[in-house]
Amino acid sequence: MKKSIPIIILLISFVSFSQEDHGISYGFESNSQYYMDDSKTGDFLDSNRFRSNNFFKIDYSYKNFYAGLQVESYEPKAMLNYSPNLDKTNLGLYYLGYKTDKIEFTLGHFYEQFGSGLILRSWEDRQLGINNALRGGRFKYSPKEYLHFTSFYANQRKGFAVSNGNIIGFNSDFDISSALGFENSSFSAGFSYVGRSQEKTETNFDYNNNTDLFSSRLEFSKDNFYSNVEYVSKGKDAVIIQNQIKNAKKGAALLANFGYAKKGLGINATFRRMENMNLFSDREANGNIFNESVVNYLPALTKQHDYLLTNIYVYQAQPQVSFQDPTLVKSGEIGGQIDVFYKLKKGTFLGGKYGAKVALNFSSWHGLKADYDFAGFDYETELFGFGQKYFSDLSLEVRKKWSKQWNTIFYYVNQSYNKRYIEETFGEINANIFVSEATYKMGKGKSLRFEAQLLATDDDRKNWAGATVEFNATSKLAVYINDIYNYGNDDVDQQIHYYNVGGSYTVGAHRFALNYGRQRGGLICIGGVCRNVPESTGISANITMSF
Amino acid sequence: MMKKIVFLFLVAFSATCFSQKNIPNINVTTLKGKSVSIESQLSKDKVTVLAFWATWCVPCINELDAISDVYEDWQEETGVAIIAMSTDDSRTQKRIKPMINGKGWDYQILLDKNQELKRALNITLIPHVVVLKGNEIVFRHTGYAPGAEDELYEVIKKHSK
Repeated sequence: MKKSIPIIILLISFVSFSQEDHGISYGFESNSQYYMDDSKTGDFLDSNRFRSNNFFKIDYSYKNFYAGLQVESYEPKAMLNYSPNLDKTNLGLYYLGYKTDKIEFTLGHFYEQFGSGLILRSWEDRQLGINNALRGGRFKYSPKEYLHFTSFYANQRKGFAVSNGNIIGFNSDFDISSALGFENSSFSAGFSYVGRSQEKTETNFDYNNNTDLFSSRLEFSKDNFYSNVEYVSKGKDAVIIQNQIKNAKKGAALLANFGYAKKGLGINATFRRMENMNLFSDREANGNIFNESVVNYLPALTKQHDYLLTNIYVYQAQPQVSFQDPTLVKSGEIGGQIDVFYKLKKGTFLGGKYGAKVALNFSSWHGLKADYDFAGFDYETELFGFGQKYFSDLSLEVRKKWSKQWNTIFYYVNQSYNKRYIEETFGEINANIFVSEATYKMGKGKSLRFEAQLLATDDDRKNWAGATVEFNATSKLAVYINDIYNYGNDDVDQQIHYYNVGGSYTVGAHRFALNYGRQRGGLICIGGVCRNVPESTGISANITMSF
Repeated sequence: MMKKIVFLFLVAFSATCFSQKNIPNINVTTLKGKSVSIESQLSKDKVTVLAFWATWCVPCINELDAISDVYEDWQEETGVAIIAMSTDDSRTQKRIKPMINGKGWDYQILLDKNQELKRALNITLIPHVVVLKGNEIVFRHTGYAPGAEDELYEVIKKHSK
C-alpha cells in the first residue's frame, strides 16, 4: 500500500499542472458475502463469515503519456475458493506508458494477447479470481498502418507477487491486403514467439530451461466468406503428473475457422486440435485449481449458455496430459463447433409481424486418438484421430417478438457430458434441457420477465426444474427471485432448492446489488474458464462504480 | 482499510473536478482485422454512442435488438452513430460476424479484443453505453432494462442540439 502513495502524488501533480489534453477514469468494484449456516447443506465451517473482494483502479492520461494503478483488498479474507495468494490489501497493478500512432512503451503491469491467445493471453476476470497480467517492459512499434510489432520481457503476476519463470514475447501482424492495396478482399498474416525460462529440475528427462512456443496465423476474407488458421508448436517441456516430472514431450495446436455471413444469415465453423498445450509461468503451477500462472488462453470452444440449468454440465477444454489409471489417460483434445444464425423475415408464415431470430449451435469434443504406454507415461498420437468422446452439445434458440409488449425466447439443449474424463471422477451424463422465457414490457422501463427451465436426465443427480421472475420497476430498479430444484434426486435429502432473491439499483454507470440465497456448488464458468465453488448460503452485496 | 478507500476516493474526486473527460487513446480492431484508434472512429461534431456488448451477454443483445428497431429514426432525427463495441474474447469472437448478420443489425462493429478500451474506461459490467460528443464523454450508463433505450435517446437528443 505504501508503494502506491508516491504514485498517487505523482498523478495529482500531473493533474494540477494542466487542465487540457488529459483524461482521467476510475472504477471501484466491491463483492462481499456473509456466509451463513444452512440446515440442508451444512454449517459454515471456515474462518471469517464475512468476506470481501475489493478493487479500485485509476487511469490517467496526459497528452501521449498514461499511468494507472489498481489497489485490491481482500479483507478480512477473500471470498471462498479464491487463491490464498489473494490476501489483505495491496497494490495489484501499476503502470506508466507513452503511446503515439507509431510507438508505445509500457513499464509495469500490462495485458497482452498474441493471435487468438493460444500461446499468450494475459487478462483479468475478477469473478474468477484471474489476473495474470505481465509485469516488466513492453515496446510496440507500427512502422506502417499495416505492420505491427510487439515485444516484451516480463514476469507474470501471481497473487500480489510475480512468477519465478521469466516470459519473453515477440509478435508481428502484417495486413498484406492493405500493403498491396487490395480493395475487395482482406488477407493478413501473423507470427509470434513466446519463451518461458525457468531453471529446470534435475531429472532423467531431456528438456531445457527455456520452453519455446511459435504461432503462425493466416486470415482471409472476401465478400461474404472469411476464414483463418493458426498453428502453434510448443518445444519439449516437462510433463508433470501429480506434481512429479514423468516425461518430457512437445506440444502443438491447430485452430481453423470458416465462416459465411450475409444479411439475415450467418454460419461459422471452428475446428481445434490441442496436444499437451498447457503453459504455466512456473512449471510447478501445473494443475493448480486457481487458474494461476496460466500463460496461454485455451477456453472450451462451446456455446456459452445463459440459463442456470444449462450451466450445470459445462465443458472445460482438455489440453493437458493426464495419466490417472490405465483406462483414464489423456493427451489433449480434438473437435469443433458450428453456429448458424438466421433471421426469419417479417411478414412470412414463421416470422410473423416482427420476424424471428433463430440460432443453432453444435459442438463435439473428443480425446486424441493415441497409443498410450501407461507404465512409461508416454504416448504417440495420431494427427487427426478422434479418441474417447468427452462432450457434445446441441442447442437451438428462437427469439420472437409477438407485439410491442411481448417478447419470447425458446431454448433447447441436448448435452452429453463425460464426467469421468472431464472431471476425472465418475459417470457420464446425457441431458435434455428446455427453457422458455417471456418478457412483458409496460413502458417507461417497467417490465416483467418469466423464465421456466427443465433439465431431464436419468444420470448423475437426475432431474431439475427451475424458474425465475424478474421485475424492472423502473429502468433503475430491478428485483428478482429464482429457484432451481433438484426434484429428481434419488436421495430425498439431496432434493434441494437453490433459491436466490435479490435486487439491483443502477444510477448512470454505477450499480448496487443485494442478494440472499443458496448457491449450488460446482463450476462457475465465465468465458470458457471455470472456477470450482463450494455450496454456500448467505447474503452478498456487489457494488460497481465507473467514473 | 476503509480509510484507504476513502482516501483514494477523495483523490479521485478532486482529480475529476479538474479533468475533461476525453476518450482514452486506445486501439481497437475493425471486423476486417485492421487496428484503428478509437478516436478516429468518432464523429467530430455529432453524437456517437459506444455500446459495449458481447455475443454471450443477453441483456446486451436485448438492448441492441431494441435499438435496432428504432435506429433508423434516431439517425434521421439526430445523426447519431452507434458503435457496437464487442468485448468478446477469442472464445466467442468468431461468432460476432454471423451473429450480427443473422440479426440484421446496422451498427458499425468494432472489437475490443482483449478488453483494453473496456478496462481503460473502468467498465466492469456490460451492457455499458458511453455517449460522446466529439471525443468528450458526456454520459455513461450500465445495465439494460427493457424500454431503457428511450431514456438513452433523450440523452442523445439533448446533446445533438
